[in-house]
Amino acid sequence: MSQLLKANGLSVSFGAAKVVDEISFGVPRGGTLGIVGESGSGKSMTSLAIMGLLPKGGKREGSLDFDGTELTALSEPQMRAVRGDRIAMVFQDPLSSLNPYYTVGTQIAEAYRSHRSGVSRKAAKQAAIEAMERVHIREAGRRVDDYPHQFSGGMRQRVMIAMALSTDPELIIADEPTTALDVTVQAQILELLAEVQRDTGAALILITHDLAVVSEVADELIVMRHGKVVETGSAEQIFSDPQHSYTQALLDAVPRIDDSIGELRTTGGKA
Amino acid sequence: MTRFVVNRVAGMLLVLFLVCLFTYMVFFLLSPDPAVQICGKNCTPERIDQIRENLGLTDPFLTQFWNFLSGLFAGRTYGGGIECAAPCLGYSFQTSQLVTDMIVQRLPVTAVVAIGAAVLWLLMGVIGGLLSAVQEGKFADKFIAGLTLGGMSVPNYVLALALQYVFVVWLQVLPFSQAVPFADDPVQWFLNFILPWSVLAIGYAASYTRLTRANVIDTLNENFVRTAKAKGLRPDLVWRRHALRPALTPIVTIAGMDFAGLLGGALITETVFGINGVGKLAADSITKNDQPVIMGVTLLAAFFVVVGNMVVDLLYSVIDPRVKAGAPA
Amino acid sequence: MTIPSTGLQVPAESPNEGDSAGTTPPARWSVLRNLLRDWAALACLGYVGLIVLMAVFAPLIVKVSGWGPYEFDQSAIDPNMGGIPLGSWGGISGEHWLGVEPGSGRDIFARIVYGARSSLLIALSATLLTSLLGVVFGLLAGYFGGRTDMVISRVMEFLMAFPALIFMIAVLSALPADDRAYLLVLVISVFGWPYLARIVRGQTMSLKQREFVEAAVASGASRRTVVFTEILPNLRSTILVMVTLAVPGYIGTEAGLSFLGVGVVPPTPSWGQMIASSVSWYAVVPTYFLVPGTFLALLVLSFMVLGDRIRAAVDPGGRS
Repeated sequence: MSQLLKANGLSVSFGAAKVVDEISFGVPRGGTLGIVGESGSGKSMTSLAIMGLLPKGGKREGSLDFDGTELTALSEPQMRAVRGDRIAMVFQDPLSSLNPYYTVGTQIAEAYRSHRSGVSRKAAKQAAIEAMERVHIREAGRRVDDYPHQFSGGMRQRVMIAMALSTDPELIIADEPTTALDVTVQAQILELLAEVQRDTGAALILITHDLAVVSEVADELIVMRHGKVVETGSAEQIFSDPQHSYTQALLDAVPRIDDSIGELRTTGGKA
Repeated sequence: MTRFVVNRVAGMLLVLFLVCLFTYMVFFLLSPDPAVQICGKNCTPERIDQIRENLGLTDPFLTQFWNFLSGLFAGRTYGGGIECAAPCLGYSFQTSQLVTDMIVQRLPVTAVVAIGAAVLWLLMGVIGGLLSAVQEGKFADKFIAGLTLGGMSVPNYVLALALQYVFVVWLQVLPFSQAVPFADDPVQWFLNFILPWSVLAIGYAASYTRLTRANVIDTLNENFVRTAKAKGLRPDLVWRRHALRPALTPIVTIAGMDFAGLLGGALITETVFGINGVGKLAADSITKNDQPVIMGVTLLAAFFVVVGNMVVDLLYSVIDPRVKAGAPA
Repeated sequence: MTIPSTGLQVPAESPNEGDSAGTTPPARWSVLRNLLRDWAALACLGYVGLIVLMAVFAPLIVKVSGWGPYEFDQSAIDPNMGGIPLGSWGGISGEHWLGVEPGSGRDIFARIVYGARSSLLIALSATLLTSLLGVVFGLLAGYFGGRTDMVISRVMEFLMAFPALIFMIAVLSALPADDRAYLLVLVISVFGWPYLARIVRGQTMSLKQREFVEAAVASGASRRTVVFTEILPNLRSTILVMVTLAVPGYIGTEAGLSFLGVGVVPPTPSWGQMIASSVSWYAVVPTYFLVPGTFLALLVLSFMVLGDRIRAAVDPGGRS
């Protein structure tokens, strides 16, 4: 599998503080990369660095090769054309990530219209409805005019995913997409992400602190700690034979598997 | 929605009724003898008796209050044969005029003062706030922060005197105020209002600057703004749709309430600048102890505030989709 | 109706997570230390201190300056010019440090010194009473909830919907003038407490849900113990900030009411009243309004700066 995105020596620093320290990884075309680490490990900053959306004062160094384009060399307008079109993002907390003042339809259509020139309002709305149908929101034609607060947590995350896939991106970055959701809904959202990926052939970067989450979907895995990659490999390898003591600790800390570590390992192996 | 409106209107009427009752009670219970108070300083015993009888001051409290209330809605006739059409706010014996007429005559001027000030403070506040938000932490931000602190600390009557001294007496760039109708001399008319507008606006402008700045900065940190950027939206659209609308909506509503409460500020401003509006009427009546007028203005002010609050609430349920009409707070 | 929360959303992974210890409310000594490192705050503190000393030692100060607040100095004004003070700058001289009142010749410095008494006394008493009412009713409403909360909340809404300034003026003008100072404090407080109570109520309600309070309740602590040892101490910084920010408001209110002639009764001096009587002289004797105006504005400014700094120190998030 050829690589869609290759990061080489990527660093993010705020003043003297390096929150991401020369990390390298690759995302295979149509494949899934899991980035695992605790909060503060630099995994979210990595995703924002790819999007070129670092908070004020953040500095990005190193190389990000996206399908032959060097993202770090792009101007802001050029990057804007990539953002939301070729690379889309799904954030952690769907409620605060959606603007309360606009209907979900408007917000999905906004992404679509800003990357397709000459699309009428009506056509964009139709695209929004289709996107909502693809993420299995029932009665999408009616719900397209509802506001975010009228949706449940899981449904809001579906809206976020609809927004991301509306432009048929080549890469979707999902930053802790299930953390803010109920346990029962988490599995559905993961399933949906896998389904979207199957249907569209998009690559996925799944960022999480929860090894159980990546075990289901990731092909490749990197484990981050204090801004550095401490372990990298296929999901199988890491689950069956963690090399780093930190990965071992993370594996041991998976809370929801209360049977045995052995079982977790086999689950991971199948994914 | 209908239920929400009905509830709010009912609540509003209740508050207005309580304000009436409260105000009436204060004047009834606290004034040793309303007739003497109303009669003023140069008074004769006969006149006092006449006032007592004409105003029905010999009646028990509830009867008097009822007469006052029904006068508000149906008008009333005073003992001396004075007709007072609804809404009858009372009769000023000191000036031999109906309170409603006195207020209605002066309302247009006060409206001019209030509207001009509101426009000015919204402009200054929003522009200043946006500027400091964009320049957060830089010189412009700190400079504006200093100005707002100053604007909030100088009492408006001090400011009025200072501005008047500087611009009229010292620099002589503005003329002494003369009462001219707009149609006769629009320029003089406009120049007359520059200082009152500024004085009334500056305190509000300062607090609106702070509010706008805080709201814009907070909104820019919201996750949905990040989402908008992640969509690849143009920066101007990110600002307009995702930062300004959520940041400015609460400001517009607060402005509604402040505007409704402006009569208090107009009191001081109109007095200092000698503008013959409702505020000056109230201030003069305080000096002369002309209680029916004071009470009339108080009720009018309460009416504005209560109605203003209600309009703002209704408006809010329209512009903020989360506040669905009828939903409990 | 809900006002959208504009509070700062801290992202899940903020770049400066390393110093997250700084977000816990710092101890009181560090608040003080921060204040002392800040020259503006220090200057404000100094000014407030100066005015307080002036108010406390007014009789002594006036003895030193030589003129009492009620003494008329006919020799300092020009009777032929309608009582304009002799000499430039409103008659400022070694004799009358801040000039004299036009028309009467009373010493402005002495009246400023005595006026500080009324301003501070009334503003501070009103603040005290407001805080007391606000904390008590806010705690009651927030802690007990239910019907208590409903009644208190309705009363608060009613008072906040009132045109407070106009009503204060109306009431004060109807009341006998004998004990104006007390009445002023009372009237200001009656309309002022809901603003503090509303915040105390909200915080009490959320504190009630916190583990340490629930633990105290579970371990059988009495209501009084819970309120006084668990909840009240946690409200300390909120109350401190609200109170500091209330003082300048009340100073302004007192001065405004006195300016309108329903405040402190003459001849007792008050800054607002001095400014009111300067209105007819402003064009001829500008120092007459400038002196009390400056004293007043600086006092309000100082309290506001101090309030801001205290708020910033106890609440680094910058939420209002």
